Amino acid sequence: MPKVILTGSIRQHVGGLGVVEVDGDTAAAVVKALEASYPAVRGWIVDERGSLRRHVRLFLGQGAVSLEAPIGPNDELHIVAAISGG
Amino acid sequence: MTELLVGTKKGLMILRGARGGPFEVAARAFPGEVVEFATRDARSGRYFAAVTHGQFGPHLYFTDDPTKPWQQAEGPAFPASANAAVERIWVIEPGVGDGVVWCGVAPAALFRSGDGGKCWALVHGLWDVPARPQWEGGAGGLCLHSICPWPGDPKRLAVGISSAGVWLSDDAGMSWRRSIGGLVPRYLPEEARKDTHAFCVHNMRRAPRQPATLYMQFHGGVYRSDDAGESWVDIGTDRGLPSDFGFPLAIDPNDPDRAFVVPLSADADRVTPDGKVRVYETSDRGASWRALEKGLPQSQAYLTVLRQAFCTDSGSPLGLYFGAQSGEVFGSADGGRTWSTIASRLPPVASVRCA
Repeated sequence: MPKVILTGSIRQHVGGLGVVEVDGDTAAAVVKALEASYPAVRGWIVDERGSLRRHVRLFLGQGAVSLEAPIGPNDELHIVAAISGG
Repeated sequence: MTELLVGTKKGLMILRGARGGPFEVAARAFPGEVVEFATRDARSGRYFAAVTHGQFGPHLYFTDDPTKPWQQAEGPAFPASANAAVERIWVIEPGVGDGVVWCGVAPAALFRSGDGGKCWALVHGLWDVPARPQWEGGAGGLCLHSICPWPGDPKRLAVGISSAGVWLSDDAGMSWRRSIGGLVPRYLPEEARKDTHAFCVHNMRRAPRQPATLYMQFHGGVYRSDDAGESWVDIGTDRGLPSDFGFPLAIDPNDPDRAFVVPLSADADRVTPDGKVRVYETSDRGASWRALEKGLPQSQAYLTVLRQAFCTDSGSPLGLYFGAQSGEVFGSADGGRTWSTIASRLPPVASVRCA
């Protein structure tokens, strides 16, 4: 089962956990499964249309990926709040 | 003790102080986050805060004690059929009837809660009006920022949208009609005004003691309606205002003849005119305006006051409060005759409401 690695303030919505295992064969499916397991995170990573929030990034291995990226059972998907602010 | 909810670019500041006396930041919530709007529903005592997280988008929170943890509401969020996402929560307004609360967002839409603000649902009647695809936003986006319930009548509602005009409902939001009679969009060429949808309402408030009376700050123009928003009359031209452009608007909840604006120089120069911070009051339904300036900065003060950053209490004499992008909050406990700076060096102020 893929692992989701969460950083920063997003952890508060998954019970303070930094690593969560959820099912899914794409990044979008993994995020959807994460929302199903932790409803408090709904609306934080993707909006109600399922689009990635503008300042959230997904990383798989050494690169940034989109929600359409395929995810293998041994992959680690990092969900990161982008460096932005004001 | 007066409590003010001040939404700022870096969190919610809860100011407390004696009416007419000094205030202090008694508590802070959502540190570092943009708090676009905060208010309290006097019926339930529940507090609401609209927060736009830099990375994670807009979310609505509520609590019964603003110094304790806040709970995230279920929504507002568009249903999948709408193919839209909430970009910003602009206003939360207690409604009429048990547990009814309204919420206005960008892109311009109205949400309703029937359980005191915990769960929210899109008001499809407004979202589905045939004209909506032609709506366009102003500089602040396409937003529904003003919600005017009718005290005692849960069916009647008026909302203001930038830049899509005034919309009225007589059936609790099931159906809507646009009402822009008398409004003049001077920012458009004369020949383009007839068929336009671009009516840039900046702020709209209803007089609770005389609900057919509404006041409006328009994008160039101040207006009053005597017929529940069906038509509008100009009360901003040649009546003593230094400019008829601005965003903030407040009314005396106990006197339907009395309203207040904070004019800004012009749409191309959104600061207080002539380097002076002045609130303008009418006590004759807009026939004349006079400056209220005692205690406010009167030289080299180029402040921007946003649309949600001005409010009154319901006291007598009336309390008035407004905040600026420069981080100051000003207050008056005597109906605007004298003012004091009740907070300074705050982050830019987006909203001010009495709790």
